[in-house]
Amino acid sequence: MTGTGMLLRFMLRRERFALPCWLLGVTLLVLIQSTQSQRLYDSAEDLAKLRQSIGGNTAVIAMSGPTRLLNTIGGEVVFEIFAFTCIVLALMNMFLVGRHTRADEESGRAELVRSARVGRRATLAAALALAGLANLAAGLLAFAAVAGTGLPIAGSALFGAAFAAVGMTFAAMTAVAVQVFENTRPAYGAVALALGAAYVLRAAGDVGNGTLSWLSPIGWGQRTFPYVDDRWWPLAIPVAVTAVLGAAAMALLERRDFATGLVRPRPGPATASAMLGSPLGLAWRLQRASLGGWAAGLFLLGAAYGSIGDSIEQYVADNPEVAEFLPGGAADIVNSYLALTAMTLALTAAAYAAVAALRARGEETAGRTEPVLATATSRAGWLASHLTVAAIGSALVLTAAGLGEGLAYGLTVSDAGQIPRLIGVALGYLPALWVVTAVAVLGIGWVPRAAAGLAWTAFGYCAVVALFADSFDIPGWAQRGSPFAHTPRAPLDPVSPAPLLVLGAVAVALAVGGYAGLRRRDVGY
Amino acid sequence: MGVQNGAAIDIAGLTKSFGRAKALDGLDLSVESGQVHGFLGPNGSGKTTTIRILLGLLRADAGTVRMLGGDPWRDAVALHHRLAYVPGDVNLWPNITGGEVIDLLGRMRGGLDRRRRDELLQRFDLDPRKKARTYSKGNRQKVALVAALASDAELLLLDEPTSGLDPLMEAQFQQCIHQIKQEGRTVLLSSHILAEVEALCDRVSIIRLGRTVESGTLGELRHLTRTSIAVETVQPLTGIDALPGVHDLVLEDHSARFDVDTAELDAVVRRLAPLGVRSLTSTPPTLEEMFLRHYGEEETSGAEATS
Ligand SMILES: Nc1ncnc2c1ncn2[C@@H]1O[C@H](COP(=O)(O)OP(=O)(O)OP(=O)(O)O)[C@@H](O)[C@H]1O
Ligand SMILES: [Mg+2]
Repeated sequence: MTGTGMLLRFMLRRERFALPCWLLGVTLLVLIQSTQSQRLYDSAEDLAKLRQSIGGNTAVIAMSGPTRLLNTIGGEVVFEIFAFTCIVLALMNMFLVGRHTRADEESGRAELVRSARVGRRATLAAALALAGLANLAAGLLAFAAVAGTGLPIAGSALFGAAFAAVGMTFAAMTAVAVQVFENTRPAYGAVALALGAAYVLRAAGDVGNGTLSWLSPIGWGQRTFPYVDDRWWPLAIPVAVTAVLGAAAMALLERRDFATGLVRPRPGPATASAMLGSPLGLAWRLQRASLGGWAAGLFLLGAAYGSIGDSIEQYVADNPEVAEFLPGGAADIVNSYLALTAMTLALTAAAYAAVAALRARGEETAGRTEPVLATATSRAGWLASHLTVAAIGSALVLTAAGLGEGLAYGLTVSDAGQIPRLIGVALGYLPALWVVTAVAVLGIGWVPRAAAGLAWTAFGYCAVVALFADSFDIPGWAQRGSPFAHTPRAPLDPVSPAPLLVLGAVAVALAVGGYAGLRRRDVGY
Repeated sequence: MGVQNGAAIDIAGLTKSFGRAKALDGLDLSVESGQVHGFLGPNGSGKTTTIRILLGLLRADAGTVRMLGGDPWRDAVALHHRLAYVPGDVNLWPNITGGEVIDLLGRMRGGLDRRRRDELLQRFDLDPRKKARTYSKGNRQKVALVAALASDAELLLLDEPTSGLDPLMEAQFQQCIHQIKQEGRTVLLSSHILAEVEALCDRVSIIRLGRTVESGTLGELRHLTRTSIAVETVQPLTGIDALPGVHDLVLEDHSARFDVDTAELDAVVRRLAPLGVRSLTSTPPTLEEMFLRHYGEEETSGAEATS
């Protein structure tokens, strides 16, 4: 373990930007939820009403947690935000531990470190210590956020402790995964799978009799019932599991060679399939896994949104006085909910549209465009291959989102017609996504080094305009640059083809402009 | 596989800058069809930059570049059907196997010879089923080599193709290039391995700071460098230092050691003969000395070449 302290200091230095961002993010989530909940349900009757309306809504329970939490306002905050922030915290821990262990080993950086006076276990020990510090900070910040907004101290302390304990469990889980797998990708995949399982088990348990929730780290945290029962003993489970996983990781480390895992990567095919023989085949091969991930993620997000659609309707049905204020009555409420969520889904999909187009630039900077362009592949053909995947991939991702929302909403209201309807709504954003892709292409053509910055700025602009236009009072002219501002908000507004065609034309023009830049510049730097 | 007469590559006055840094500064290069042409120069002298311009990846600032009768920038796709390339830094897709990469690159070039591919895999002892990220440096290099050698391209652009190969593989590579030469194909070979250059190349061009400093056959280049002489005479040695082409003279009364420009060797020997030569050894420049002289600064190279 020689050198652990030195390595830990070095890791903290490397984390001085990323880690504070993650911590700030989770703290803000807790802070906003705590303020908002206390404002919305400031009386006992409001809380009782909420209990009533949510008590029978399995979708909301599956998304959030056990209804027992709804007995107090503090518990309501835990109900709303705990599971979700645990996902963020788990991802933070996964990347934190992965980055300083397997990723360094993979890149060869760790070899230099290990050749110095550093023990075999030092890197892993330092990474776990780093995660410990990060989770301690996360717990304290969460405590400060809830206690600071006026919730009881005792419950807040438990909230923070449970939060940190769940985070540490995932850090230890990652520590094991990076011993097992030779590369970060499958290791992250395994931890993400465990995280998904933790969420699903918890959901199934909370909807059912609660047994399954005890198999989930998130469930362990929630079942301390902060502000309701304030019981500490369930935290013994994550502490014990963390200790066991940490010890297991150390033991596995002793059994494996440097830069290898316990699972050897399987050999692949000796010859290329017929698909893999063109730039498009290559681009598809490179991007298909990412596309699958995005499509699955957006399907789930869509399903989550869709499953609540009905309870919004129910809420309006229970409170007819609300509907009176709205021009279209109850029907409009659901439609405006669906329109809002469809746009949120499309915005998320726009991130995919940017990622997929920027992959072309990623290939270039990694030096892998050179061998392709040295074959009889034109620049246009190479660019078009990634562009095609981005354009069609955007359609698939939107379809997945619409399918998820349509399926879940259709199931709750027993109407299969919602599936094609909401797929159609989602696909209405396709031209907008293409514009985002095309902006990235424009950057790749003319300002290659700044292409990623340009694409993400465009994305950020779209997101701010779409989500905060009203709350920030952004003037109309300043919104007009966003393709989302020109997309009809179906199903609330009627869809007319004209703006969509214009957006499509803009996308084509931008992409052609980007190609004009690529045609005359140096490739590969 | 049309073997034309004349130059496969013809570059004159080529310049290329990256921002303020000048990578190529009036480079000339002429590669005859059917020849193996060595392309040498110290690190950062512009070899890779030149090859990238030949591939149409970089755009020349000035100068003329012709390759296989076409313009590498304008006719890139058409020309690439007829050439194969091995990059200096082989970057492969981490999750694609070596065999897949070879097939992919071959197909994108316009087809590859299955039999030759399999034979080369055997020859280079390469496992095509491994994912690229699990290859060692040498094996990554082999993937690019097999992909290029499996083609029947009439021109091969090889940028340090054997860096990282073991001596056994180096021998296999040299055999392959000999065969390619017999088939009348053209090779531009950038290399730092002088034995390889000596074994394979018909002609070499040496560049420094983006400019061609020497070009010719190895014999011609030898002629341009210096021979080391150690001599002992009956009469005292005088007037040697005044002779043209003599460098680094170490003089005692009856013996001397010095280097002489090979072109001036005859004149110097004539001057020595009347003094009564007791013993004389002359050492022709080794390849290393020759290149050190061309790579380094004029002044310091003389000192390095002496031994
Ligand atoms: N993309 C680039 N941006 C800036 N400078 C560059 C770039 N590519 C090359 N250079 C510079 O151009 C010069 C020539 O580089 P080049 O790679 O052609 O050298 P080389 O002869 O291949 O060297 P080596 O023997 O090390 O491979 C170097 O000074 C290098 O720093
Ligand atoms: Mg080079």
